[in-house]
Order: sequence, then C-alpha cells, then structure tokens
Amino acid sequence: MKNFFRKVAFGIAPSEVIPEDPLNWALDQVNNVPKLSWNGKIYLEKELRKHYRDYIYNDRKKLRKKYKNDKVIYKIKKNQLRHETGQKFWESLEISIRHDEAINGLNPVLTKLWYFWSNFFAISEKDFLANYSTGAYHREIIRPNLNQSFDKMVYDVTTSWAMIHHLDNSESAGPKSKTARAQWRIKKKEPASINENHARELLELHTVSPTAGYTQEDVIQLAYIMTGWQRKWSRSQLETGNIWFNYDYHQPGKKIVLGKEYKSGKKSLATIIKDLVNHPNCRDFVAMRLCKFLITDQPTQSMKDPIIKAFKKSDGFLPEIHKAAIKVAFEYNDKYKKFQTPENWFVQIAKIADLKWPPSKEIMDSYTLGHRPTKQQRAPEKLLKELGHHPYRAKQPNGWSDDSVDWLSPELLIRRLVYANRSYAYKKSDNNNFEFYEKIVSKNFSNPDKILKYLNNKDSYQPYDKHTLLFNHPEFLKA
Amino acid sequence: MKINRRNFLKSTIFTSLYFAGFGSPLLGSNKNKKNLIVIMLRGGMDGLCAIPVKNDKRFEKLRSKINLDRTLTLTNDFDLHPALDDFKRLWDKNLAAAVHATSIPYTGRSHFDGQNLMESGGNVPYQIKTGWLGRGMKLANLKGDGLALALPMPLLIRGVPMNDNYYPVKGTIPRAEILDEIKRSYIEHNEELLNDTLEIIKKREFDAYSSRDNFDLALNAGKKLSKPNGPRVAVFEVDGFDTHAAQGATNGAHADCLHEFDNILKGLKQSMNSETFKNSLIVTLTEFGRTIKQNSSNGTEHGYASAVLMAGGLVKKAQVYSDWPGLKRKELFEGRDLNSTIDARSIYASAMSTVFDLDFKRIQKEVFWGEKLENLSDKLFS
Repeated sequence: MKNFFRKVAFGIAPSEVIPEDPLNWALDQVNNVPKLSWNGKIYLEKELRKHYRDYIYNDRKKLRKKYKNDKVIYKIKKNQLRHETGQKFWESLEISIRHDEAINGLNPVLTKLWYFWSNFFAISEKDFLANYSTGAYHREIIRPNLNQSFDKMVYDVTTSWAMIHHLDNSESAGPKSKTARAQWRIKKKEPASINENHARELLELHTVSPTAGYTQEDVIQLAYIMTGWQRKWSRSQLETGNIWFNYDYHQPGKKIVLGKEYKSGKKSLATIIKDLVNHPNCRDFVAMRLCKFLITDQPTQSMKDPIIKAFKKSDGFLPEIHKAAIKVAFEYNDKYKKFQTPENWFVQIAKIADLKWPPSKEIMDSYTLGHRPTKQQRAPEKLLKELGHHPYRAKQPNGWSDDSVDWLSPELLIRRLVYANRSYAYKKSDNNNFEFYEKIVSKNFSNPDKILKYLNNKDSYQPYDKHTLLFNHPEFLKA
Repeated sequence: MKINRRNFLKSTIFTSLYFAGFGSPLLGSNKNKKNLIVIMLRGGMDGLCAIPVKNDKRFEKLRSKINLDRTLTLTNDFDLHPALDDFKRLWDKNLAAAVHATSIPYTGRSHFDGQNLMESGGNVPYQIKTGWLGRGMKLANLKGDGLALALPMPLLIRGVPMNDNYYPVKGTIPRAEILDEIKRSYIEHNEELLNDTLEIIKKREFDAYSSRDNFDLALNAGKKLSKPNGPRVAVFEVDGFDTHAAQGATNGAHADCLHEFDNILKGLKQSMNSETFKNSLIVTLTEFGRTIKQNSSNGTEHGYASAVLMAGGLVKKAQVYSDWPGLKRKELFEGRDLNSTIDARSIYASAMSTVFDLDFKRIQKEVFWGEKLENLSDKLFS
C-alpha cells in the first residue's frame, strides 16, 4: 500500500505522518492550486524573456558586427553576455522551484500531475528555451490551469509564447493573406506559406492523437486557422515579442477540419480547440496517457473508462479528471507497479531521505547577474542532464516517454547506481544513524523488516551503501 | 534533369571502380567478423539537401533561398553537400554510396509515428515493440552483440537480449558485493530485465571520463567493434534535422547535422582497424525527407522520400542507386514531396542479409513479416 504515496506523489518525508486515508489524502489535493512553496525569488516569464531578448539582440546586432574579424574576442564577449543575461542560471532556479514544490509543497499529488502535464505539453530542446523560458512556462501556463478545464489549458498552451516559438507558428502565413501580397515578399521572392508544425502537434500530441484519423488536408486547414497567431516582431524585440493575432497573416475564408466548418478570424482557434477537446479520441488519449504515467505501460480499457467518463461528465474539468485517475491508480495500486522515471526517482529520494535538495533559497538568491553561477547554483540542471531526464530538454515535442523500457539500458541503470550513491553526499548530518533509516523505510515500504535486513545484510556495508542499496531496490524503483 | 527514369539505376562515378580494391569477394570470407552500424538521423533528413539533383531548374527555383552555393561532385546527376567531406573521401575510394528517392512505407509526416516505424519496421505506429535490427540480430543469434551510443536503448535494436549501450557519466560504480546484493533483490522480485542489464554492467569496463560528443562516441565504438569478441552492431543517433526554419544552405542547421553524421564516419574510420572497416557496413535511417519547396521561413516541411547514405568496406561501389521519380509536380508525392521508388526496408533487409550472412528471404519473412521487399544485396553490397 505504501507505494501509493510514491505512485501519485513523491513518498512520505521523515517529518510527515503517514495519512490514514490515502485515497482521500490524494483526492483532497487536486481542487486548488496553492502558492508555490519556494520562498526564494521567482521571476515572471516576461522578465526572463527580456533576458532572452537581451542575449539574442546583443549577440546578433552588436557583438557579431563589432567582432566580426576576431573570433577569440567574440567568444569571450559572448560568454560574458551569457552571464549578463543569466543564461546558465535560470534553468537551475526553475528546477529548484519545481523540486521544492514536490518535496516541501502542500499538494505533492497536484505537483506530480503538474509534472505530467508539463511533459504532455512539452517544450523540447530548441534555441534558448530551456535556458530562459521553459521553467517559467511550466509555472505560468501549465500550473495555474491544473484546476481549470482542459480546453482552457490547451488554449493557453497554444497561444503561449514558448509553444508558439517552439513549434514555429510565427512563421506560418496564409497564402491568401494580406501579407502574401506585400511588396517585400515579391521583391525578396518570399511567397507566404504555412508552417504545419504547430497545427500537426495540436492534433497529434495535444488533443485527438493520430487515432482520430485526420488527414493531411485537416492539418493544412488547421494550420490556416492558426495563421496569424504569432510573436509580435520588432527590430528591438526580435522573436521575443508578445503573442498577438496578426490579421495580416491570417488565411481568409472558411476552413474545414475533421468535417466541421470554421469561420475566418481570431475566434476560430478557441472554437476548434473546444471541438478537438470534445472529440472522443481526445478523451481516450488523455485517459491513456494518465494511466501510462501513473499505473502501467499498457493501460486496459477498464482503467481508462472511469477517466473518460469523468472527462465527459465534467466537460473536461481537470480536477475531476485527476480525481478519476487517482481513484483508478488507487484501485490498481497493489496489482500494478510503475517503473519510476529518473527525475521522479531522484525527487523521491530527496524527499524520503530528507536530503539537502534542491539548493536552498539562500544559495539561489545569492546569484548575481553578470557572474558565472557557482557549482551549487548549477547543480539541478547538471543533475537532470546526467540522469538523462531533464524536463526542459526533451529531444522532441512529444516529451519524455512513459514506457519503462525506454528507461532501461546499462547506461541508465549506471546512472541510478551512481546517483543513488551520490545522494549520500546530500544527506543532513543529523540523519546519519540507524534510527533514521529505520524511520524512512518504515514510512515508505510495506515490508520494512525485510528491507532493513537487506540494507544491513553484511557488516562490511558502509553507511553510504545504504543509499545505493535502498534506492536501487526494485520496490523503490517502482511504485 | 534529363535523366531517363528507368535507365537511371546505375549512376556512374568519376573515379575508377577498381581504385581501392575493396569489396572483392576474396576479402569477404566467412570467418571475418562483419559489422553493421546504423546511424539514425532524427527529425527528417532532407535527402535533397544532402544529395541535391543537378541541373533541375524547377528544383533550384523552389529552393531559391536554400540552394547550396558550393557542392562536391558525386555523379553526372547528383552533387553532395559540402558538409559531407569525409563521406566524399570514402566515396572516392569506392567505400561510400547512397540510395536516393527511398523511404520507409510511411506517408503520415508525423515525426513520432515516423520514427517509431523507421525503427520497428512495421506499418502501424506503436504496434510493434521490437526493432527490425533487433529482430534481425535475433535471427542471426547475435545475443549481447549490440551497442547503442545513446542513453536509452533505441527501439531499433530491441528484440534481442543483452544489448549494451555506451554514453559515459562521471562517477563510480558500486563495488561487487553491493552489486551482488542488488542483484539478489532483482532475482527475488523476478526483475529479469533489470537483472540482465546489471549483468552487462558487471562485465564491462567502466569509463567515466570520456566525452559524449558523437565523434568521441564513434572513436570508442570503432575500438570496441574492432575487438574480435566486441559488438557486431552499433547504433548512433543524430538529432536536429527538423529544420522548419532557417534550414540554411552550405552552412546552417541542416549542414550542422550532416556534418555531425560525417564526423561519426570520420571517427569510425579513424578508430577501426582496417580489417574491421573492410568488414563493416554503415547505413543511415530517417523517418522522412522534406518538401521540395522551401517555406517562408527558409526551411522545409515534413515530406516523404529521402536518401540513405552508406559507407564501409561492404559497400559494393561508389554509386547513387536510384529509380529516380523526377521532380515535376505530377511526379511528386501528393504534389509536394520527392516520391519513394524503393522501400528503404529493402536496403536494410539486404544489409542484414549481407552482414549477418542470412538468407534474404528468411529476413523478409521473419523480420518483415513476408512483406514485398527487393533483395538489393548484389547491387549495393559485397
């Protein structure tokens, strides 16, 4: 039973009491989105985007011109610019906020779901998004929507600066739009054409999935509907301007997607998102993804059904969808154990073993722009890269896999061995005693005696071996 | 482009076919360990950027912003992207070739479905849980002979047990008694896959200080492949071919990716002993090519056919093997993409037949479910 606390959250910390009613403990956490637990500085997405702007603007418009004949100085100056804009720091700060919420936040179950949706609507590694923007996008776009409706979440994601930049929608121009007739296009021989990337992913990854059977024409028509949603470009902002709807780029006329007609104009995006979200394949897809994340690589129909039903009944209200998923996870808790992905696994270690993780607010707040961040200040980003599971740096827009086999290879298992051992270096000195390990084992394992015997099987085992052994035990690797 | 489609199958090269002397049957004796290296080019490699067609006005017009201003020459009909200079060096020695206008039989233009299918070899995304390479290795009884130069185990190579991967991390592996204790817990919980994986870790050397750059990975892989008891299959990945914007031409995003691929060739050539390189075949794999026409962001969209690049001593000769479909509108797939005239799986089945010494028909039947594939072994490999 105790694995349930790791299945839907991150385990029980030494200072926490084991909830008497695990199901209601979990269900009660998804109604509201509390203030973040991180009490250090948190920056607005827009502020961070301004740093993004400062970096690309000064690099492209100033340094490249000024040092065009001196590669060495250019490189030095560019490195300075990186630090002046915090390029090597923000991402670690965001991960600290993210991990702190799982470890010290009031609603760890909600946080687990935050992780889920951040990956569902993944921003993969592209340009400098991970350095400046993706963490803030998870905080400001995904998280506040956790107690809203799914269609609102999709709409906010689709019109967010990070996603539009990620999937190139600013580059999409209706071939019959006003801009198509612009003089500069004729002069520069740059006819207006659509960029299908974002439209395709809106269908494939964010709503109905390919099982809905849409065609290439559907993708094109949706791309037409989406034309005009772009970053406001200017000489000073470059590609970091706010998102707006630019009528000049919008393809005029009616569009037909999956057999339904949509009017020309700005409002059609919200209309079609509502329709896509209400498509039966979307409900099935969301239910399947949730079951995969929480329960098993191969969800059954009877696992998905209650979630699909809750989706339909609540008109896509996320707290209801989440509650249904938690109930299913609870029902199947003993029968199915899900292999935990590396980031989840490490956060669970940090929580149940009361590690000095993430770096403290004092450490992170002592960072000053223009300086190289310290090793400690960069530790979160480096750790996740090494584990091979960095939430802002998935390789592709479909995010990280929830299939266990994708996380099993000699190198990935080596990471678990190495980092379980290394987690010992983050322990608090007060905790270095037998009673402490007895406590964390009894709080998080259903058969504590057996696990303790395993940890103390030989006299030759060193204190640090406890971490390697405990966190590589199959009962900890799965939940 | 003045080439007659049907007569185009054997494109000539400028250098003599007999120049290097490789590929003669004398060298292909059975006692040699033969190796297959697959390099996955993720994101949709633009075959027409890597190997552009010559003298095609329509093509040049459609790509006015991303045409190459400098190319290397391959044949009368095709040029080569200048980022592929190591490929060109091998080509000049009859150790590299390409198949053009080829694709896996997938036309859906989704990266994720496409990449799943290029690795599984199937027709329905996510249906098959093993890779064509893994199944081929299983048929050849190559257990524990696969090496992936990547952190997760690619689907491509799954289907045969005990594959290894190499992607170094700094740190230390726990000592034997700790690993043994963990192993006992795996066994007790019937965790077979974890147990197998731990077995591999226990057996191998732990290298904590190398870089993970593809060139360095290739250097390492080449050394391992050269050992008599080393792996016989290696899999690399190059990301970033999805250039919807700022694809670039001679330089730029696509060029950088091609160069990274080229660096893998360089690393392998440099680190393999000559006997090993002689007995190796390197092939690329991608989910789809890209549209003929540039888009307004000077990039290209998801398309259909691309090219497969090949290198190594088992390549028959320097050639661009193709049944060229043409680039006129009516010759294009859905009026926009280079058509595929060769099922890329025919190349991979033939490659496995050559490298694993298996009957083509067995591979066709057991790895590709008896689907209609053409045996290209004699045409492409030696």
